[in-house]
Amino acid sequence: MADKTPASVSAALAAATCSLLGSMPAAPVQAEEEPDWDFNTALLYYGEDNDRVQDLSLNILARRYYVDDRSLTLGLTVDTLTGATPNGAIRQNVPQTFTRPSGSSAYTVPAGELPLDDTFKDTRAAVRVGWEQPLGRLWKTSVGFSGSREYDYTHLGLNGSLARDFNKRNTTVSAGFAVAHDIWDPVGGAPIPFAPMLDVGDTSNKTGSETKDIIDVVIGVTQVVSRRMLVQLNYSFSNSSGYLTDPYKMLSLVDGTTGDTIPRVAAPGAEGPSHEFRFENRPGDRTKHSLYGQAKYYMAGKVLDASYRYMTDDWKIDSHTVDLRLRWPLGEYSYIEPHFRFYTQSEADFYTISLVDGAELPRFASADYRLGNFDAMTAGLKYGWKTRTGNEMSVRAEIYTQNGTIPGDRLIGNQVGRETYPDLDAVIVQFSYHFSR
Amino acid sequence: MGVEPWERDILAKEEMQLTTDPIEAAIDDHIYFSKEASSGGRGFGGGGCGCN
Repeated sequence: MADKTPASVSAALAAATCSLLGSMPAAPVQAEEEPDWDFNTALLYYGEDNDRVQDLSLNILARRYYVDDRSLTLGLTVDTLTGATPNGAIRQNVPQTFTRPSGSSAYTVPAGELPLDDTFKDTRAAVRVGWEQPLGRLWKTSVGFSGSREYDYTHLGLNGSLARDFNKRNTTVSAGFAVAHDIWDPVGGAPIPFAPMLDVGDTSNKTGSETKDIIDVVIGVTQVVSRRMLVQLNYSFSNSSGYLTDPYKMLSLVDGTTGDTIPRVAAPGAEGPSHEFRFENRPGDRTKHSLYGQAKYYMAGKVLDASYRYMTDDWKIDSHTVDLRLRWPLGEYSYIEPHFRFYTQSEADFYTISLVDGAELPRFASADYRLGNFDAMTAGLKYGWKTRTGNEMSVRAEIYTQNGTIPGDRLIGNQVGRETYPDLDAVIVQFSYHFSR
Repeated sequence: MGVEPWERDILAKEEMQLTTDPIEAAIDDHIYFSKEASSGGRGFGGGGCGCN
């Protein structure tokens, strides 16, 4: 089962999707008659506490430079994911049994513990291909393809961008687009929205595969402010439509007075859920708008990289992200770079921790903690150095924490004092090697 | 605002590029895409995995 995990670094998308406008580094200055390969490689470990998601990821991004500033980019990412992830159900004072997504067996969560689905284990491969070239003296264009495949998810995407320099190349205006068609083929089938979790072997609550389509547009301006300062401002529009639900997430159906999950009895001789659980249901459309600003400032050898992003969407989620990095040289061949990131988001308007038995079902509902109200912080340090052969290496170690809140007026009966947001602590360790041939 | 072509010595440094490490940027974008409800901004919004 494929999870929702981190660093499944869709190189495909990660690189392809993340990059076009500004994420790619400027081509290094080099002799035009010397086509060259440039390799960025990285080995990443991402690990969450309490045996939650673990990811080991190998990333390779190769770029070949041709004459006239043309370049070909090839990216590959392979992720290996294991661990457990919150399934959306709430804690209970008694053990809870859940039918696995495959429908072929069940798992039990001890009393008082946050229900985690420990069945996912996935390998993911992602590729990207990009071509970039000038169009005349002031224009530059790029086109790209991205694709990824994991056990239950397939992604196919195309992207392109166009940029023009103005004002002695001090101003660059760019526009990019990306379209993607993704296919969900969940283990056991995609659940019918709000369908109850059934006994092992009963798959009448599941259908087949689902799809979603994504359109992204990014418009940006990059401006040289001075000899030491560069700024960028982007506006992004993103629309997703189709199956936006997480097929592995559910909600507990609770008693309106006690707040406890309604017990359930499996059919005679069958193994099945100990309580009533309903699969989640999200809207089939989501539109996001983002404003992103970044500044790079050079101060006597040190470089400050500061960015801010505001995002709002029609799921009523608003978020603010601040990211700060300070690259501090240590002599001529090495540097350290402290990194700090702060993120805060408001909850989706259909986020809830449980459904009340007997009450009218809402149109949409999800207990996915990632749609809740939380703050997150990243703090880390990177050390980079040049080798004797002129190649570059770096290691970074970071911690990532999420702290959420569930408003008291959302808690019913016994949920007060028992239900808490599933906070997260994770470590990120990465080794990178950059070389040319 | 801006500089003359011969004043680009500092701006041409690798550490002054908007994205100095494309793989790290992609990794970070994907981690946060997987764990938070926001994505994109610097570039496209992401996707390409079942992470929602």
